Amino acid sequence: MEQIRPIVEMRGISKTFGSTRALRDVDFTLEEGEIHALLGRNGAGKSTLVSAMSGYTPADTGTIRIASTEFNVDGSSYAARIRGDIAHVQQTPQMFDLLSVAENLFLENDLVRNRWGMVSYTRMIEKTEKLMRDWNMDIAPSDLAGELGAGQRQLLEIMKALSRGVPVIILDEPTAALSNAEKRVLFDQVKLLKTAGVSFVYISHHLDEIFEIADTVTILRDGQVVKSRASVEGLDTETLANLMMGEKTTRSAREDHTFGDAAPLLSARQVQLKPDRPKIDIDVRPGEIIALAGPVGSGKEDLAMVLAGQQAPASGQVSGPNGALPTIGLVPTDRHASGYVGILGVRENVALGGLEVLSGNFGFISKAKEDSLVNRLTRQTDVIASSLDQAVSQLSGGNQQKVVFARALCRDPQIIVALSPTRGVDVGAKEQLYALLRDLASKGLGVIVVSDEEDEISQLANRVVIVFEDRIVDEMVGDYRMEDLILHMEGAT
Amino acid sequence: MTMEIGVPEGHGGKKMAADGQSALARFGHGFVAGGWTMYPVLLLLIIVGAFIAPRFLSFINIINILEQVSVLGLTTIGLTFVLLIGRLDLSLEGVVGFAPMLAAVMLVPAAAGGFGVELPQWMGLIVALGCAGLIGLFNGFLVVKVGLNPFISTLGLLVLLRGGILIISNGRSIYSPGESLTWLGSAQIAGIPMAVFVFLIVATVVGLVLKYHRYGRALYAIGGNEDAARAAGINVDRMIWSAFFFAGLLAGLAGILLTGRLDSAVTTQGQGIIFSAFAAAVIGGVSLGGGRGTIVGVVSGVLLIGVINNLLTLAQVPSFYVQASTGAVIIIAAILTTVASRRSGGVKTRT
Repeated sequence: MEQIRPIVEMRGISKTFGSTRALRDVDFTLEEGEIHALLGRNGAGKSTLVSAMSGYTPADTGTIRIASTEFNVDGSSYAARIRGDIAHVQQTPQMFDLLSVAENLFLENDLVRNRWGMVSYTRMIEKTEKLMRDWNMDIAPSDLAGELGAGQRQLLEIMKALSRGVPVIILDEPTAALSNAEKRVLFDQVKLLKTAGVSFVYISHHLDEIFEIADTVTILRDGQVVKSRASVEGLDTETLANLMMGEKTTRSAREDHTFGDAAPLLSARQVQLKPDRPKIDIDVRPGEIIALAGPVGSGKEDLAMVLAGQQAPASGQVSGPNGALPTIGLVPTDRHASGYVGILGVRENVALGGLEVLSGNFGFISKAKEDSLVNRLTRQTDVIASSLDQAVSQLSGGNQQKVVFARALCRDPQIIVALSPTRGVDVGAKEQLYALLRDLASKGLGVIVVSDEEDEISQLANRVVIVFEDRIVDEMVGDYRMEDLILHMEGAT
Repeated sequence: MTMEIGVPEGHGGKKMAADGQSALARFGHGFVAGGWTMYPVLLLLIIVGAFIAPRFLSFINIINILEQVSVLGLTTIGLTFVLLIGRLDLSLEGVVGFAPMLAAVMLVPAAAGGFGVELPQWMGLIVALGCAGLIGLFNGFLVVKVGLNPFISTLGLLVLLRGGILIISNGRSIYSPGESLTWLGSAQIAGIPMAVFVFLIVATVVGLVLKYHRYGRALYAIGGNEDAARAAGINVDRMIWSAFFFAGLLAGLAGILLTGRLDSAVTTQGQGIIFSAFAAAVIGGVSLGGGRGTIVGVVSGVLLIGVINNLLTLAQVPSFYVQASTGAVIIIAAILTTVASRRSGGVKTRT
């Protein structure tokens, strides 16, 4: 009779990137059949720790035991040795866009091979169809992965990991791109596997998810464990937030700067997002923060892009008070894909938003103007970098997003359109961005935010516009209650 | 490389500058990013060259090298526009031959191999540059409007233009195509060929534009992340058109210099130059993936190729070896550039 021991044991794990010590002597254990939440701000070392666990980025020193495989770590690769015991779902889905859903799911999977190593397509399709039924998803096995929405891709990535039959699964920010309905399915599946004895490491910025699904919590700060294996029952949101921040934090409340009777800055009239969809009318007033909410694929991003003048509507018109579009600053939905230019420095990235404002004679950039503008905007958005020439790809998520905001403010816009403004951003930076948006509204800007997070919306928006199937189905103005917001957002799904 | 964590609020970006990086690391980064990597190598070559061949450092020889590289230099600068936005243009080689040839057949009488149009002399330069610019725009059209991969579209155009040269010239080179077409490539000021001035002026202007003009900033941004550039309000499509246009125009100018130097439009003119241009660009630190590269670097790449060719000739190395050793140098230089930029760029951290 063997004594019950943890399925994962990590001792004295350290990892250094350049001059940054991402992990310092970290111990971590995962019991069998437990859901263990790993919390911490951006840059605290969560992703580095789980990457060390899965071998995706080997750690420098320490010992690791996963199931029955035990080894000392010396910086060389060990991912192959533990491949049969652990699956790691990364923050961003890594799918083969040109392969089908079924092929993506069962790539390198013995379950669909016969004894000569040939892949059986029939078996693959069968298994995929069963998975889709279990997960309540409406996707054909032959669909190309590249044609799926962000939420569906994320779910597929998770399904792929879960169906490999490994005892340990790492979920790094699995719900970032998921709608509420998709989240429900995911949680059900995770709980199901948990009862079957599978262990999870779960990373999320959403504390409410932690309370819902996790058993145990470990908190990292600056590459060190500040709270180890605490039971979720004894914790509340505030304690967690304080432990993560290392200082007392209070959630900020929304402010109302709407000038009630002011003329709108921007009006959309008879706008159709797609042909044969209902027509939409919406006004944006100065000082107002509008949240566009709704499930993934509801058209809320499209509506925001139409309002931002980045996308032409199928029909209808978007215009300012005197016919022309006002100046609009855009914070795109995925900062890695379309937010910043990673190889360029902070200065160039910010200035990119206002090249024509900054250039004087014959279109040459005025160094003095650029310096003063970039300095002012990076101070306003609180960008922290080693210098203004540091490549933006080297900054933490929160600072990257602040750079994107600074760029959007370059042309002195009258309207800011921010899609998922705080996705993958830590609590501290989040509050700073909220304060920035409120400050902009108080100066009379119109602010449009697209968000999936109830907390974020209730902390920001004076008006919540629920979008579903490319139309506006509901609207809440002024002093709405959090409970109503959640109900309305759920109701639309 | 640093990553700040948990710094108290209220500190702007600038404050951190002092303690973030060591002065040496900053210098190293600036050195590589500015495109100066190959200059020490170039200097070394020149010193070695001075010992191998005493004639190497003579005024005549240096001018000779500069004149030799001016054609390659202009083509490479043209190519750099397209490379910076993450595209490529193989047809530039065709432009180097086709544009001056078209101008030549429009100028000379039918008896000398012309079309019999016999345009007035002063039209020569305009026809050649106009043709080159139009070819560039056509490339832009194929890439932006039709959506072709530039490798395929410009490869097709390259072959088409090579054939086109033979068609319009009837397979015969055209001699003395006229003053306006040959002046830039043959005239001298104070003993220095006009071509050298053209190359230096173009390099300076383009260098300044890439570094300080909003056009240059937009090129780098598109090469670094096209979607981000679009979201920042840059008209990406128009930028792509323009990059191909300038590339074509500069290749046309390179062709004019070559025609002037030879006082004839030759059917094989420019053959193989695109490979040297790519090599010079890569040696000079231009990234084929877009977003990285400077004219300072491009000039070093062009000079390196020119100096090596010259040295090998002076050292009386058999011509077969010249070609092979140029290839070897390209690979070595590319390795050096890549290693240098990797060392100075630091690694990306994950959070």
